[in-house]
Amino acid sequence: MKVENKIKSLTKKLHNSIDVANRVIKKNGVDVGFIYLKSITDNLIFSQAIFEPVSNFDGQINFEILEQIVKANDVSKVEEKEIIDKILKGSVVVMLSNSEEFLAIDILNYNTRAPSEPPTSPVIMGPREGFTEDLKTNMTLIRRRFYSDQLVFKEATVGDTTKTQVVIAYLDGIADEKIVKEIKKKISKIKIDGVVDSYYLLSLLASRPNSVLKQVGCAEKPDIIAAKMLEGRVAIIVDNSPIVLTIPFVFLEDLQNSNDYYINYIYSTFIRFIRLMGIFISVLGPGAYIALQLFHYNILPIKYLITIADTTQQVPFTPFIEILFILLLFQILYEVSLRLPSYLGLATSIVGALILGDTGVKAGLISPPTVIVVAIAKIALYTVPEQSAQVNIFQFVFLVLGAAVGLLGLIGGCIYLLAYANSIENYGAPYLAPFSPFILSDNKDGLFKVPLSEMTERPKSFENENKERMDESSR
Amino acid sequence: MKVLDRSITAWQTGIILFILLFANKILILPSLLYEDAKLEAFLVPIFLFVLELGLIFLFYRIKTKYPSERFSDILKNHYGKFVTYSLYVLILVFFFCKALLLYNVTYIFFRNMIYKDSGNILFLFCFLPVVNHLAIIGLRVIGRTAQLFFPVIIFISLFCICIGFFGINSSPLLYQASINDVFRSCLKHISAFGDSIFLFIFMDKIKIQKGQWKIVFSFAGIAMLFVVTITTVFILSYTYTSFMHPFAIFEIMSYVKEFGGLGRIDIISMVLIIILTYFQLALYLKGFMESFHVIFSKIDNIYSVLTFNIVFVLAVNYVVLNLSKGVIYGETILPYFSIISFVFIPALVVVMLLKKRRKERKK
Repeated sequence: MKVENKIKSLTKKLHNSIDVANRVIKKNGVDVGFIYLKSITDNLIFSQAIFEPVSNFDGQINFEILEQIVKANDVSKVEEKEIIDKILKGSVVVMLSNSEEFLAIDILNYNTRAPSEPPTSPVIMGPREGFTEDLKTNMTLIRRRFYSDQLVFKEATVGDTTKTQVVIAYLDGIADEKIVKEIKKKISKIKIDGVVDSYYLLSLLASRPNSVLKQVGCAEKPDIIAAKMLEGRVAIIVDNSPIVLTIPFVFLEDLQNSNDYYINYIYSTFIRFIRLMGIFISVLGPGAYIALQLFHYNILPIKYLITIADTTQQVPFTPFIEILFILLLFQILYEVSLRLPSYLGLATSIVGALILGDTGVKAGLISPPTVIVVAIAKIALYTVPEQSAQVNIFQFVFLVLGAAVGLLGLIGGCIYLLAYANSIENYGAPYLAPFSPFILSDNKDGLFKVPLSEMTERPKSFENENKERMDESSR
Repeated sequence: MKVLDRSITAWQTGIILFILLFANKILILPSLLYEDAKLEAFLVPIFLFVLELGLIFLFYRIKTKYPSERFSDILKNHYGKFVTYSLYVLILVFFFCKALLLYNVTYIFFRNMIYKDSGNILFLFCFLPVVNHLAIIGLRVIGRTAQLFFPVIIFISLFCICIGFFGINSSPLLYQASINDVFRSCLKHISAFGDSIFLFIFMDKIKIQKGQWKIVFSFAGIAMLFVVTITTVFILSYTYTSFMHPFAIFEIMSYVKEFGGLGRIDIISMVLIIILTYFQLALYLKGFMESFHVIFSKIDNIYSVLTFNIVFVLAVNYVVLNLSKGVIYGETILPYFSIISFVFIPALVVVMLLKKRRKERKK
């Protein structure tokens, strides 16, 4: 087949898309054809490293010579069936009229943003780099932390339409082989039209896909991913996503924060208790307040009781409706502030906090103690922002339980929820480990944090190949 | 539906045992003990705990001889199917009756204290979903969840005991009841004990390594210490009016009505009672399920839960829900069921152990 015909056929296969570029030149009676996508390739490299050397070549060109004269690193022979795939991944495919072989030269290039501090994980101390949407940049950010042959990147493609590149990263000799195999198997089994972001894989990789509880770790910072990989976890990087996933995941991970490792260990223990308390207050606060008001008011000291009675007697709604109304109002304001441009966000805050809150109280529609309770619960929610979605749901569930049956319902709900969490095992890691089952050594970096010199072992909550982390002599 | 009953560790076994031995003895038992044993009431749990420890010791012996076998299979091998099934029918009824009594007492307590106008349906709505969930989700999950709540249980119990000491207003004056009265009280309330048979029916799921038995015995010891202390503190707080105050742990706390600026702290004891009731009911249901599974091995496990729920709701509505009725039922009918835990099972186990010993000697 003539080169022109081959190019026509390939262009047709690519649906004559406007970003398909091709060029055919004649060199001493030999037709040389080039085809590539100009939207994802570097035109300058194409012209300087590929087109110019070929067009300037004086002799009789053949496939072996072609391989030698192009000034590019990533050059490979490809079969006819692979051509489209190569073009779509940013290669220029070169063909000759005197040869049936094809040469693919990778010149993928598109605009990416530089690594910057992710808005979701700001730090006071420590590295400020964050992942970007570019897979190669993300791999570089991880590789820079492991100048070791132990770091392994394995590639997979997910999505029938998007053909998204997914990279499984782990440390050989530290990550458990069974876990790596299981993840690879799960990813290979995924049959989906497209994966636009790593969040698409969250429920597909979870042990219980329908669960309300978060089961896969997420991070936007390479230092966090590196630390988790050193513990034996496996990272999953998805092209076009700045969020890297980690498996196995345990609840404790969200109580930890990279800041904890840069401050005094006693203070970080205190901070972790505060975070846990924040979750409790947020989940149980509104429910407990309403349970106290409706069922257990007699346990309140008489002065508080009088204050509450004074402030709530003018409110026309039942306590449950009142608190539900404020919680929903807060949720609406939160959603609005997330989506509005920052200059309008300020206006929303003023309308929400000052006008709605203050006027609502003055008008006697809501009572000040209820506003305070909801405010505390909502602020406490963000002590562990990674868990905010789940905590928000449970806040409403426990509110209903507290309003319906008081203390009995709240405690029953807690037992139910914790039993449910305890029944989840992600890739062999009990969800609430190291609290239940209680693993003493893992608690050194659990709710309590000991100095780094005491953390001599890798976590035992899940399987890993090498338990020892630090030699005794280095302590 | 598959029930995932995977193995539990020595710590989890100890905590489950603690709940079984502690939970149903801190609410109405101390007050009932006073009726016969007066100030010597604290001796009753001591005597009965000695029996309980004997049962746990037998469990230790049989577990070390048959480390991974099911109790029902061992029984079948030694005594045949008839004896095994008969015993398991009795165990099934034993756990059901205990669940019924525990629910009855808790219901009366909460109706009197908090939910004055509420009907039984509210309590069933609270307890049954959680208890069913715990039982279905498996023994390991119960063990792990109990492990999470254990520090809370211990902390609140110690807090109650410490607060209780402030309420003691009489110095102990013993020799009010004769030894006969004490033993009569023991026999009357023996049904509150004997829950250790739970360990026997789940012996294949319990994984205890060499040297870890002390953990299990320690938890049993701590439970005994707590029950005896709470009984003593309660009786020394109320002395001659102990029989008028049926809910011991709560009464201990409510004696100190307003503690500083904290308000009424008796709600703390309610939290303890609620946690323990949820767990103990789940353990009784688990015992019921396992016995049901041995008797009707071909029927799916979920039917045992359904059976329990239906019979429980019917029994709760038509048989009990009255404290005095419940107490009478606990003091008259239930003690006969204690024959299972303190006579039948020990006798069968001792004979099995002796047989095994003889076989080993012959070899």
